[in-house]
Amino acid sequence: MKRPVRLEPGQKLVLTANRLLDGRTVWWCADGAWDLHIGRAALLDADEAEAVLARVAGEAQRDGVVGVYDTAVQAAVPPEPVTVREKIRAHGPTVHPEFAVETEQ
Amino acid sequence: MSIPVGHYQYDRIDRDFLQARIAEFEGQVQRRLDGTLSEDEFKPLRLMNGLYLQLHAYMLRVAIPYGILDSRQLRKLGEIARRYDRDYGHFTTRQNIQFNWIRLEDTPAILRELAEVDMHAIQTSGNCIRNVTADEYAGAAADELVDPRVHAEILRQWSTLHPEFTFLPRKFKIAISGSPNDRVAARFHDIGILARPGEDGAPVFRIFVGGGLGRTPVIGEELFDSVREEHLLATLEAILRVYNAHGRRDNIYKARIKILVQAIGVEAYREAVEAELAQMDLERYRLTPEAVAAIRSRFAVPLLEAPADADAVLAQQRREDPLFDRWVRSNTHVHRDPGHIIATISLKPAGGIPGDATSAQIARLADLADAYSFGEIRITHLQNVVLGHVRKDRLRDLWLGLSEVGLAEANIGLIGDIVACPGLDYCALANARSIPIAQKLGARFADTALQAEIGALRINISGCINACGHHHAGHIGLLGVDKRGEEFFQLTVGGRAENGAAIGTILGAALPEDETVDAIARLVDCYLGRRESGETFLDTLTRLGHEPFREAAYETV
Ligand code: SF4
Repeated sequence: MKRPVRLEPGQKLVLTANRLLDGRTVWWCADGAWDLHIGRAALLDADEAEAVLARVAGEAQRDGVVGVYDTAVQAAVPPEPVTVREKIRAHGPTVHPEFAVETEQ
Repeated sequence: MSIPVGHYQYDRIDRDFLQARIAEFEGQVQRRLDGTLSEDEFKPLRLMNGLYLQLHAYMLRVAIPYGILDSRQLRKLGEIARRYDRDYGHFTTRQNIQFNWIRLEDTPAILRELAEVDMHAIQTSGNCIRNVTADEYAGAAADELVDPRVHAEILRQWSTLHPEFTFLPRKFKIAISGSPNDRVAARFHDIGILARPGEDGAPVFRIFVGGGLGRTPVIGEELFDSVREEHLLATLEAILRVYNAHGRRDNIYKARIKILVQAIGVEAYREAVEAELAQMDLERYRLTPEAVAAIRSRFAVPLLEAPADADAVLAQQRREDPLFDRWVRSNTHVHRDPGHIIATISLKPAGGIPGDATSAQIARLADLADAYSFGEIRITHLQNVVLGHVRKDRLRDLWLGLSEVGLAEANIGLIGDIVACPGLDYCALANARSIPIAQKLGARFADTALQAEIGALRINISGCINACGHHHAGHIGLLGVDKRGEEFFQLTVGGRAENGAAIGTILGAALPEDETVDAIARLVDCYLGRRESGETFLDTLTRLGHEPFREAAYETV
């Protein structure tokens, strides 16, 4: 798991996981739902993220997700992950533009 | 159903076993979905059935024992790609196929479909003996001494669900070849086996142990020179027992057999194996001629008949068609029968994804195998496909058929024949993306005339230190590294997996992703500018040493 030691200015945290049924990458939203689109992810400050992560991870089975963790994003609209790994998780494999997550409903 | 050419024909016991295993896994999936099993409990169970959770979805790795399929099986793989995945599959450096977009709930149905054609995903993951790999030209090449497939099948049966070796310290990979020209990277395996005929006609086996790539690349050392056929299984059993007892379990990075062999030395390892053999009931493990014959009888032998002028027809066609001639030069190998030839089909189109094939291409390959090679297909550890027994006078028709589906690239063994792991586009363990670098290099050197001019040059790319792209063994190797979330590549030169196996030497500091392709192009220019007549890249590198290449690679840095 790649996690920056601390957030740079302009960065927030989001929670991510994979869906149990199909393994797809999902992002945690403020209403408690999990969504394919990082644009709908809840942006968390570093000091609140730990508690939210613990609570959400505890509900993973009920919510049908696996491996919940937090990752840093630039707090833009839509938020953009800081690492290449999370960018690829957010948008889909770079070698298949036709599979871009943005094109999915 | 007639017996397939090239691989073992399942019997009722094999099929019953698969059905029982699927039913068991279906129950496990059900319990995972209803929450009875946690992810931590389920993970080792799914891995034992070849199911990984990757970046975007589950990935299912299907075993292709010793890399050989029949057309019915290949067609089924194409159907699975179409129905359950996103219309393509990825052939791996372990002669397997991976599907990248699998749904957990579909997995039992997929496994049932695979079982219909005697296939499965068992032992494609986990700390067990993995799919045994073999020479892609087995039973066909003119330079072969012993056809290794019967013994590869014996090893498959011996290692499948072996009760003692299901929880080894780490995964365990075995390769077997029967040719003096090592095409299986025998010395880069936990156990590498080279078969040759013994004095009494029965094969004897030279056994290497402790080779491997990954974090600690090691060239395997010879444990025994001449193991007799009757003692093959006992010897392997003893080697595994010593590893199982003494291999480290406290540190995942030090758990492979290579670390144990390095730690105690090959002599001490040999003594330990001999001590184990001395107290084993050898009769129980004896591989009798009858047992070998029984396995052999479940392989069909191709009836190799060709017209007397097959060779002349091919020669004439090559003279008339320079493009075809170029493909024949790079993509064929000499068959043991003078009227036949071995054709290697490149899955490395310029700018494409190494090892990927669409379901349409897979279906077409199955048709072409039926039409030209007894319905038999081999997958190579270099992520290509081989049709082993093509009549020479029909080779051009095959090539034309391949051209129609974009599979006639003339680049086998050349710079365009790049080996690349899935890397960060899919793999949860990756540091960097392997495929885009491969695509850029493929596009840069797309001209097949230029590739022929450059000559034998292998590029291998791994997205992390696990080395699934075998970068240590590449003439030029690329290893993806992560520097604060950004992709960098470390370059190595001088690796080779064939005879005279060597581990590549690191040239210098890792380069940013966007400078890597140019650096490799400068390496190639350096070689082209300084080679002497008849030299390959490795020859020039050996003569000049690394320094000129290091300077070329880092010229602008
Ligand atoms: S080498 Fe690393 S990145 Fe590539 S497939 Fe293996 S584990 Fe994944």
